Amino acid sequence: MSHRLDFATTQATEFVDITDRIRDEVRRAGLRNGRVHLQSLHTTLGLAINENEPLLLHDFESLLDRLAPAGAGYEHDDFARRFEIPIDEPANGHAHCRQLLLSAFATLMVEDGDLVLGRWQSLFAVELDGPRQRQVALQLDGEIVRRDEKVSLEALVELELARQLMVDPEPVASPMRRLVEAGGKRLRPKLVQLTAGIGPRSDPLRAAELAAAVELLHNATLIHDDYVDESTHRRGRPTVAAAEGPERAIAVGDYYFAKATRLIAQIGNGGVTSALAAALESVCASQIDDVAMRGSYPGDRDSYMRVIRGKTASLFAAACESGALLSGAAPDVVQALGRFGDLLGTAFQMADDMVDFSPSSGKPVGLDIRQRVLSLPLIYAAEDRVVGPEVRRLLAGALGDAEVGRVAELVTSSGALPRVRQEAQHLVDAAVRELEAVELDGLRPTLVGLARAAVDRIS
Amino acid sequence: MTVQLLDRELDRLEGLWSDGLAETYESYLDAVGHFDPEVQPKLALAAALIESGVRLQGLGGRAAPPTTLLTGDLCLARGSRLLADNAPLPVQVAFARAIEAASSAAAAEQPAPALRQLLRQSLGTTR
Repeated sequence: MSHRLDFATTQATEFVDITDRIRDEVRRAGLRNGRVHLQSLHTTLGLAINENEPLLLHDFESLLDRLAPAGAGYEHDDFARRFEIPIDEPANGHAHCRQLLLSAFATLMVEDGDLVLGRWQSLFAVELDGPRQRQVALQLDGEIVRRDEKVSLEALVELELARQLMVDPEPVASPMRRLVEAGGKRLRPKLVQLTAGIGPRSDPLRAAELAAAVELLHNATLIHDDYVDESTHRRGRPTVAAAEGPERAIAVGDYYFAKATRLIAQIGNGGVTSALAAALESVCASQIDDVAMRGSYPGDRDSYMRVIRGKTASLFAAACESGALLSGAAPDVVQALGRFGDLLGTAFQMADDMVDFSPSSGKPVGLDIRQRVLSLPLIYAAEDRVVGPEVRRLLAGALGDAEVGRVAELVTSSGALPRVRQEAQHLVDAAVRELEAVELDGLRPTLVGLARAAVDRIS
Repeated sequence: MTVQLLDRELDRLEGLWSDGLAETYESYLDAVGHFDPEVQPKLALAAALIESGVRLQGLGGRAAPPTTLLTGDLCLARGSRLLADNAPLPVQVAFARAIEAASSAAAAEQPAPALRQLLRQSLGTTR
């Protein structure tokens, strides 16, 4: 099993204790007995095992400074004599020389699921030219204990989300952590993880990294959407815009948009990066169309379908495709899963629209109506011969509690909800048919179950 | 830049070109000369879209109104897609880190780094 450990350093020279993070990796992987191999991926970052005692670490720094002081006339720092140096090349001859005194590799033994370390031993990544973003490569081999797959997949993505948020600056991490900890269905990461188990290069840890990045990307778009929709609550908690203001919401959304795209790129699969980048563009373009449609609220079915396919279904489709691509699945499988995700995402959005009219959903009835959010039941009710004229008249005016309640009543009394439910179920049937012609390595029942559950919540 | 490329990549963003995006694009052309001629305009446009998108959103200043924010979001997403399809991995990573630096500074209410300089450096990243 291969993995990358990312972290940021804050000092020019710094001993970063990574022991606990390596322990976490061992647990996540289920490595019972074996070895963890580590390799620095930088020429100015070393690895060392020693005691984590602050004065001793200061002694180490002083030793490195004495042996290879900064600015001591290193030829490497004479840029006039070097060719093709990058624009941001630092004068860091001392850091390279210091790295030569350390090691770029380490192998730790694992017994009974834990690192074999002496009482005073800790593992350090030694920054020699910081502050920078750094990466250490890990490979784990030995006796891996496989746990229940479903529990394991869910736990992996939660751990990965927590791990990513741990290294981010608090002003952005804190609001995102609240949103992540508030729950959510995690359908997109589940689709990534499941489809990443289909091809010959299945790797649960890499799949969890991709799945967490997709969830962060989705959450970043929600944070901006909540400001645009003037939503005060999401997942039962105040939105970032409501709690901390729109300026913070924009910054947090941007940060996680960028971080998620970086994490996806660093996975190193061009097909995955392109599929998710195209989906994100589609989400953003459709959000513009969605807001534009509010001028002719509630709009018509064709416009609705165009918007939700871009805004919701595109990311479902890309989640399915990217998982399959990551696992090295055959092109026909990737395409079939993309179509499955598109149909499922469309059905999911229709089911989500219906929740707005369900008193048992836990959300206030009519919230979408109040916020003039695109809704297929509302479109069908507005087209209804009996209730349509009153629905359209109410929606054309100001929407107070009485008007919202009356519109919800009219929608419920019309045939709109059963019609949408049936349409969503037909889409799920079509999604399931997409899986029939391709080889899915035994995962078809799980995907079918997940698709059925996406609309069962409205049955 | 070819008319076809402009038509395709400025869908829904047409007004921005005459509203400063053209000048921003020009300002990146000298930073992409080391790439294949075919991708140079795409990478310059990606950088220009990202710089313009962040400016439209009001990142680090007063929040843009919702519709302007969405236009800014689309600029960022399109710039990101152009990078995903045309830029080497280190450049993609450097661009993302530049946005992370600007947005985390904004969230912390600290002075924002000069984004154009960061993006120009990103275009020169080789590792």
